Amino acid sequence: MSDLQQQLQTLNDFNTEASIRIETLGNFRVWRSHEKIEAKEFGRDKTIQLLQYLISNRQHNALHKEKIMDDLWEDWNDRDFKVALHGINKALEPNRVSRAEPQFILRQGVSYQIDLEKVWIDVEALENFIIIGNKAYQSEKEIAIQAYQKAIDLYQGAYLPNRIYEDWTSEEREKSQLLILGAYISLAELILDTNPLESIRLAQKALAIDATWEDAYRIQMKGYIAKGNRPQAIKAYMKCEVILEEEYGIAPLPETKKLLQEIEAIH
Amino acid sequence: MDKKQNQNASFMVRFNQRIYQENGDDKVQWRGKISHVQDGDEKRFSDFNDALVFMQQKLSELTEKATTDKTSEEQENIVKKSLSMWKTIKAVGPQVIKETLKDPKKQFENLQGEIQEKITVLGDEISEKVQIDQWRNASRSDFHEIQNEISSLSKEIKKLAKKIDGLQK
Repeated sequence: MSDLQQQLQTLNDFNTEASIRIETLGNFRVWRSHEKIEAKEFGRDKTIQLLQYLISNRQHNALHKEKIMDDLWEDWNDRDFKVALHGINKALEPNRVSRAEPQFILRQGVSYQIDLEKVWIDVEALENFIIIGNKAYQSEKEIAIQAYQKAIDLYQGAYLPNRIYEDWTSEEREKSQLLILGAYISLAELILDTNPLESIRLAQKALAIDATWEDAYRIQMKGYIAKGNRPQAIKAYMKCEVILEEEYGIAPLPETKKLLQEIEAIH
Repeated sequence: MDKKQNQNASFMVRFNQRIYQENGDDKVQWRGKISHVQDGDEKRFSDFNDALVFMQQKLSELTEKATTDKTSEEQENIVKKSLSMWKTIKAVGPQVIKETLKDPKKQFENLQGEIQEKITVLGDEISEKVQIDQWRNASRSDFHEIQNEISSLSKEIKKLAKKIDGLQK
């Protein structure tokens, strides 16, 4: 088994074995030992917000309590923070012995962090699958295909869609969107020769997220040509031209124009 | 004064870089998208001035909303002060906004100026691209290029004319 294959396997195992699993893409759901934790178990909405905040900042160092309070509360209130944190720990570990250190939310003095070795989070897994996909892209295509496919399966929609107006969620939403756009395109390119129809569909998924994603139009053009559908390939170019003009006031790249010329030259 | 949360404006800016070759020359193109987090509005741009204008509009709206309890004179004064932050940005786009806020009629003049400028720039571009003594040797693709340039100019003029019509109504 190659190193990348091993990494893929480890990531798959963690998905099934982790006792706490959190979905943030397209929806927000938390699972404790394969049982969904209902919103009411968290008590207040601020408790859920605090958990979502810790997820959004999971890759930073442990977060100082004052910074968290500053971002989430209008006025500082130590008690509100404690209540919210207690709410998270109680929902994730209902049977924790009192005074025992929480397992999933790590504390270092007055800084807090989610334990990524114990908590499976879809957006974290998505990034890790894409990292494997990118590493395997050139040399181990089969693994790359599997890894991108796993990432795509995880992307059920935008990151925390019910918090789109909270600025502390924007960074993660933007990052996951760019990652998945890249995954759609990379997978579509990898399978273009063997499954052009699926490539066209993946490109369409990318365009549903960002209608100006020019690479996706090129894949559609190539996919349609592979299926012998020249008119549809030209139509994809026309769509690209119109949208780029409307949104940016620019023309497609020379690479895209060249592809059109090649398609037009086919009789 | 409104509550703390409503005094914030956050923007997410995405830049997408495209490096390509055209007529043997390396070129870099930037495509951008700016989103205003608090209301979800977004704007795409290939000229960063458009992103600045977008930010200015959102910040002016924020100042206006926070001062609805003031008299119109006071409000105007505060908005003016709010816009003074942009003094540091010496660009044409923001200037258009400043002048428009001071005097809406200016917007009409600005658009007319914009049309004139575009016509001049395009005229220059065409004359740079096709030298008169080279006309004899011009290929079909040269003519095609000129045709494209003229058609994009007419599109720009149509867009601006539409804006003017809208203003006049």
